[in-house]
Amino acid sequence: MYSYKTGIDQIDRLSGGFEAGTNILILAPPMSYAEQLAYALAKPVTGEYAITLSTNERAAEVVDFFKVAGSDKRFIGVIDAITKGSTPSIVDTPRLRFVSSPTDLTGIGIKFSNMIEAIFEGDFSDGETGLFPPPIRFCVNSVSTLLMYRKLEVLYQFLHVLTAKLKKIEGVGIYILNNESFDEKTLSLIKQLMNCVIEIKIEQNTSYLRIQGIRGVGSDWQKFSVNKGQVTILP
Amino acid sequence: MISTGVNGIDNMLGDGIPKGSRVLYSMEPGVDGQIFMISSLCRAIEKDLSCLVILPHSTVETFINDVRAMKAGLIDLSSEKIAFIDSIDRERIQKSSHHPDLVQHEWKARIAKVCRERKIDVIFVYFDLLSEDFGIERGLDILKQGDSVLKPTLILELLNLEGEPLLSRFIHDFSFDLVISIKSSFLTLPHFDYFTLVHTSWSPQPARSVPFITAEGKIVPYIPRIVVTGPAKSGKSTFVTNASIEGISVDRVGADGDPTTVVMDLGRLHWKGFDITLYGTPGQPQFDPLIPGMFKHTMGMILMVDATKPQFLPRAKEIIGMLTERSVQMVIAANKTDLPGRMEEKEIRAALGIKAEIPLFFISATNKADVRHVLESLVNSIAQFP
Repeated sequence: MYSYKTGIDQIDRLSGGFEAGTNILILAPPMSYAEQLAYALAKPVTGEYAITLSTNERAAEVVDFFKVAGSDKRFIGVIDAITKGSTPSIVDTPRLRFVSSPTDLTGIGIKFSNMIEAIFEGDFSDGETGLFPPPIRFCVNSVSTLLMYRKLEVLYQFLHVLTAKLKKIEGVGIYILNNESFDEKTLSLIKQLMNCVIEIKIEQNTSYLRIQGIRGVGSDWQKFSVNKGQVTILP
Repeated sequence: MISTGVNGIDNMLGDGIPKGSRVLYSMEPGVDGQIFMISSLCRAIEKDLSCLVILPHSTVETFINDVRAMKAGLIDLSSEKIAFIDSIDRERIQKSSHHPDLVQHEWKARIAKVCRERKIDVIFVYFDLLSEDFGIERGLDILKQGDSVLKPTLILELLNLEGEPLLSRFIHDFSFDLVISIKSSFLTLPHFDYFTLVHTSWSPQPARSVPFITAEGKIVPYIPRIVVTGPAKSGKSTFVTNASIEGISVDRVGADGDPTTVVMDLGRLHWKGFDITLYGTPGQPQFDPLIPGMFKHTMGMILMVDATKPQFLPRAKEIIGMLTERSVQMVIAANKTDLPGRMEEKEIRAALGIKAEIPLFFISATNKADVRHVLESLVNSIAQFP
């Protein structure tokens, strides 16, 4: 089975990376580099593809992040739930697709399927081809925003379908959730859909993470930094 | 009658939807089925019907742009015959009161006012947020427009996250007249969408599932692939040729001097609202490695046997054995019944080891009526297979 490298030496050495079909929840307070960590984990290595559902940033900003991190933009797709609000006439391209707002779960689901289909059919990367079957990293930035627009029960069912589909295509999913803005019931329900949880905390201006759910990797708090899409565990 | 905007579905329904009906387009997450509601809306506009479109998730401008993109700009949504209640209106209504009952009342009053003033014929509703805000029952109550015989036709699109139980509620608890469920196989390749006519109140019929593609803003129901297979010389090429409006056959002269298929026969036909592609396999054993590949994503199979040549039945059974793991609908066509020495059905079934549920037809592949009869049986079994 395919393994997705995390880009974090210590983790990749111990575990080989994320197993195909893994869904990872990043639980983090605001201003804690959760977004950078999520994008770093979603950054595709050669032959892989990445799709980001963005409810907070415009597609161009998301693509810029991956470009700065050294990714080939032909393998990056974005489902943008922001831009259409201000630019209703914006049209989809194979890699950039737009939905009316974060409330539009129907649209999000469709664009997600459309992109997966395009990747499998080789219509995604301007004729360039990656591995086959295509390894796909999917990032949701963020579940917190979706929860502001839709009820927990509805979003839970929606994410249940999405995570199951990712397992079926042997992709990995990375989901950001602000753990200070939602109650324990919400966190607990969303966690049920995941098989790996990365928690982030900030203490004295230092970022810490701890990982639960990767075989062979301990769950101690570790200092980390993210720079240009590269995560480094600090001593 | 009101058209669904999809000719194939209108035909299945008789002639469309009776006026005043309640219709649900249920969408499974991820299935690209928004074109169903849009097609119904566009056809209503073409027919000069007054429409109210309720889209709590989107602004009118965004919606119009989306529809233009889907329909390649072929539809004019700026007509005075269309009224909208959109996400901006929703925000205003939500802010009109903190009390849910009053908000519900405000929704109902606003919709009633538009229906009264604009003499609305059809209400199109993107129902997700209304059902989330109020629950399904109260959400539907908002849309109820009196008991007048002139009540508008109501057409809902709903993201169905609950599956069959939700459909059952719309049919049994809320008395919807037409329920169409739009789903995706989510096979990795090819991606595969289909719709099912789950319920029609005015012409009860079994659930029918039909694959579709969207092309140039239209829904095209189709059956992606039917494979015609069987031993050599059983009449597969003749069958494909006589079934098709166009086709090709890749033949070479065989050892006996007659042409034999060495790659495949390919035929296309448009029939009963479906676009059907027929693949005829070669019958010679040396081409067996090709056959499983041709069966990938096949929805139906016609096994041809020569009804006058019992010595070829073991080969036919061998072909069935190669394909037993594939859950495709199958019919048997015992060909060449116009020639003397035809076997009995019992003999063929016993030799092939097939059950009584699998249809077996005695035909002559040179007779187009026979060929169509076999196809009709198979297409019906596919389309009605829930």
